[in-house]
This record gives sequence, structure tokens and C-alpha cells, in this order.
Amino acid sequence: MDVSNILASHAAKFQSVTVEKETPLDVDTGLLTVTDLTPIDEDSYKSNLEEYLQITARDGIQALVAALYGLPTQPSPDGPLAQLPAPTTQLPRAKPLPKLKPPTKWERFAAAKGIQKRVREKKVWDEERQEWVNRWGKDGKNKEKEEQWIHEVKADAPVDHDPVKAARDARTSRVAKNERQRLQNNARAQTAAGDREERKKDIERTLATTRISTASMGRFDNKLDGEKKLRGVKRKFEAAETSVEQEKQASLAVLSKLDGDVKRARKEKGAGDDVLNVRKAIRNVSKGKGGVALAREANRKGAKSKRGGKR
Amino acid sequence: MLRTVKPRNARSKRALEAREAKEVEDVRTAIFVKGTHTGEIVNGVMKELMALKRPDAISFSKKNAIHPFEDASSLEFWAGKNDASMFLMGQSTKKRPAGLIIARTFDSRLLDMCELGVDKFVSMAEFKTPKSTPGHKPMMHFASELFDTHPRFIQVKSLLMDFFNGEVIESICLPGLEHVISVSIASAPSLQIANPILGDSQEEDVQNLPKIHIRTYTVKLLPSGTRVPRVELTEMGPFLDLSLRRHQAADPEMWKAAMRRPKLKKQDLEKGLGKKKKNMEVDEMGDLRGRVHIAKQDLDKLQTRKMKGLKSTLVEEDGRSEDSEQEDDPRQKKRKRD
Repeated sequence: MDVSNILASHAAKFQSVTVEKETPLDVDTGLLTVTDLTPIDEDSYKSNLEEYLQITARDGIQALVAALYGLPTQPSPDGPLAQLPAPTTQLPRAKPLPKLKPPTKWERFAAAKGIQKRVREKKVWDEERQEWVNRWGKDGKNKEKEEQWIHEVKADAPVDHDPVKAARDARTSRVAKNERQRLQNNARAQTAAGDREERKKDIERTLATTRISTASMGRFDNKLDGEKKLRGVKRKFEAAETSVEQEKQASLAVLSKLDGDVKRARKEKGAGDDVLNVRKAIRNVSKGKGGVALAREANRKGAKSKRGGKR
Repeated sequence: MLRTVKPRNARSKRALEAREAKEVEDVRTAIFVKGTHTGEIVNGVMKELMALKRPDAISFSKKNAIHPFEDASSLEFWAGKNDASMFLMGQSTKKRPAGLIIARTFDSRLLDMCELGVDKFVSMAEFKTPKSTPGHKPMMHFASELFDTHPRFIQVKSLLMDFFNGEVIESICLPGLEHVISVSIASAPSLQIANPILGDSQEEDVQNLPKIHIRTYTVKLLPSGTRVPRVELTEMGPFLDLSLRRHQAADPEMWKAAMRRPKLKKQDLEKGLGKKKKNMEVDEMGDLRGRVHIAKQDLDKLQTRKMKGLKSTLVEEDGRSEDSEQEDDPRQKKRKRD
């Protein structure tokens, strides 16, 4: 049985979907882009520009659509979703690559021990209230102990034992510990990032300020082992005799600082009365209503008094 | 430089986190800025390009006295402030009538720029045809060998792709492909490939460069009897004829930093996206399977079951045939041991 006739008639019903080009089209399905590297056809370009452009575009897009329909798809309510491969054309990024955060101490420990990270749910079930409550935060479960109305106290508890305070202290100290660990992790990350010297200076500065923060400026404090003597900044003196040129320059620098032309001009332009802060004064007098309201009020008062005079 | 803001509540923290650098980046937001004077043509072009770029576009309504080729600090400031990394600036001057500047930034610093003059502009409204839905991704078509060879046109292609289609996506809804942006280059009578010694930034060279035709069409997909549909295009507009003017290429250092790619994940490597590993594949169950190649086995040296009788005869035969003293010595030792 010869089916070539049937096939031919079937093919005639539809237009072709194949594109033939001298140089193969460069299809980048990842970015939905097709590049046609064929040099343009001068004659058809000159005779009918728009038609020529549309035909070349159609050919290119036909090839792109063929490539897209050849990709594996997933069904979705709006139609098939084609799974795109990674793009072949490299485009520059808009922002630098994100830097990896150095792992915290716990993360390193967990990795060494093989502890999996699991997400704790934010809400927990409260048996008494029969509802889901926050684990922490507003009406948190962790404040349950300190908020309950009756407490069990051991028989041998000291007289001044306050169970509410004890529970609260335990919770706040946990929070403080967490904060301390966070700061330590930050510091560790900073040193890992390479600014070790900066960190060292930072610590020394903090230590120096704490050492002179007592009432006696650190005079009667107990010294720790290996603690060095606190050193301030040494004063430096100019040489008693300098060359004339240097002396002149130094004096001129002082003079220019005292009364520079630019500064003087600026001061004159500003014409501000240094003693009176005008803006503040207006606000005070007008009781915060502003200068315009003040002027209006003054006018009205003037009119009233005039009228009063006539009477 | 913008001051660094410390978030004071969770909402502003989330907003700041959304601006942070990501491994797979979002689409580039474009800012549309007007220069000191924009004519009717430039206004129209910017409006229609904005319609194509929406929703990732920010329009600046006021005029700005900026000259990006002399001082790009304003662009950099806006880029940081608006979290945008592309600019389309329109300006019309006596020297350069109807000009568009496409600029892009990297890390809120100007990366590269290209100035284009609008020679012809046909608005969307002049075609009484259906338009594409805002927010749908366009397909892009570039037609000329110059997009692969000439540095100016390579830059233009890269800029236009980044402008319209730069986002890397995992999947696309096939019926959602509605429109095409086609970019072609006119025939150039006397175009030499840019002289690397003279550089191609010279004014004379720019005069010789061919025009760029940007055409926008909507796509109609017709049944073809096969899985792949037949494509038909309908004019949509805007139609633009552009000529190249000044440009600023990217600083090589900055370009290198901008082209840095993230390390591929192990999963992607196994999928075959990265460097292919030989003899390894992931089967349908997700298990990694490998093939191991070993040399051909020499069966003569195969150790079979040891038996005293067999061994002694074998050694004796060897000794006879080779007649060497070295062979004899171990035999004697063995006998002593026995």
C-alpha cells in the first residue's frame, strides 16, 4: 500500500516548521535568545526592509521555539512548563558574589559530630490553655514559670527566696549567654576575615578604658598577672631651634587657621547672631505654630487695638 | 556613598536582606531618567521601552542635568538608593539629537555604557494589533555576524539582553511566550573590523558603523501536525532604528569581578552541568552509579588451591628447565625447614 500520497496531502495542509540556514543558528534556550550569524542579504534588505526583517526574525524564532518545545516539560495549570537549561551566554552580574559566612562555634561542633540541623517550631502546644502559644516572645511559654500565680517552694528555702525572681533570672541569664556567644562568634568571624590587627587594637582600647573606669581611675585596683603598665600617648615637642623657613610656615599656618578669607566670608554671609537661635526663639514665642502664624496673630492684635482705640 | 543602615525592626531587616547579593540574581531593575531636554521622539521611545520593561522599571519624572560620560556619580547614587542596576537615559541636544544612553552598574558602580541615537521611531499605537501582556518574558532574536565579532555590537547585544531578558530562570510556561524583540544590523558598505591599535572609539569609525534595527512582534503559534508549532509573527511595535554613538567599555578588573560565577553544587555536577565526570551517572532512583575499568586478568598467575604435591613437582620442573642456582637455594632451605 502506498501512503506517500496521503502523507503529502497531510503535509500540504500545514506549513513547514524546519529552518534551513547556511550557518547554524546559535540558540540559547536558557535566556530565550537566538543569534543568527548569517550575513544579511543585500538585495532583499534594500528592496523591502520590513518584510526582510520579519522573515529573518520568524526563521530565528521558529528555531528557538523548536528548541523550547524539545525541552522536558512539567504540566501546570497554565500550560506546560519547559525546564530550561543553564544559559550559555555569560552576562555580568549586578552585585558581587555573596560571601560565605564563617561557621559559628556550634555549627563547627555540629558538623564534626554530624548533628543535623532541625528547625524548631515557633509555637508549642499549651495543655492547660488548650491552644498553640509562642515558644518565646509575647506570652511566651518560656515565661510560664515566672507568670504563674502560685509557686512551689521547698521547705528549707531561705526566707528571702523569691521564686518569681529566680525563674526570671534564670531566663534572662540564658538570653545574656546567647548574646555573649553571638558577639564571640562575630569577633571570631572578624578575625577569620583577616582584620586581626584591628581586632587587637579594639580589645586594647576597651581594656584601657575599663582600667581607668573606677572611682580611683584604676589606682587601687588589684593587678592581674602579666598586666602591663598603662601607657598614654607621649607628648611630642617641637625642636627649640628650627630653620627660618619652617618657623615662618608654622606661623602662617596658625594665622590662616585663625582668620581664613573663606571662613570670614562665610561668617559674614551667615550673618547669624551667635547668641540667639532665631528658629528656636520663633518656635518658643509662637508656641510651636511657626513664624507665619505669629505674624498673623500680631496683625490681628494690631487691628483689635486700633478698633479699641476708636471706641 | 550611602550610609549603612542598621535595621531596627524585622520588616526593614527583611527589606535589607532582599537587597543583599544573591547567588542567582533577580532581574535587573531599570531606571528611566530624562536629561535636561528630551524631545517628543525620546519621550515616546522611553515610554514604550518602559512598557516593555515593566514591572522591573522605575520612572524618574523630573529632568536631571547629568552627563554620564563626564560624571557618573548621580547614576551610581541612584543605583544604590533604588536597588537598580540598569539605566536608560534620554537626552536630546543640538550636537546629539534624540539620544539614548543604556548603562549598567556592578555593585552600584558604573560598569559600561553605550549611547544610541534614535533615527526612526514607530510607536506601538500606530499598529492596530494585539499587544503583549506586561511582565511576560520576551524572546530575543539577534541577526548579524557582527554580534559575534565586532566589540561595539557585542556590547550592544549584551546590554540589550541584560535589559530585556537577563534573568536566569528555571522554567518557562510555553503558552506565555507572547512577543519577540528582534535586533538586526543594517548592511555596512565599508566596515572593517575594528582596529585594535587605533581603537574604535574614534568619531569617524562611529559614522561608519551600520544602523541597528529593533523590531517587536507578537507571536502566533499555529498547529503544524507535529509537536513543534509553526510560528507566525505580527507587528506589535515599537520599531526603532538606532545608530551607535559614544560608548564606554567596562574596566577589565571590574568586568572580571562581574563575570565571576558561583561554584557549581555537587548535585549540579552530578547532573552533568559542570565539568563532566567520566564513568559516573545518576540512575532513575537517584543513586550514583559508576563503572570501573581494570586491566585484563592474567590467569597464569592466579592463585588456586595450594597443595603440597602439586607445588613440589612444579618447582622441580622449573629448576630442571632453567638450571639456575638461584632457584636451587630456596628449595634447599625449604627442605631444611621441613
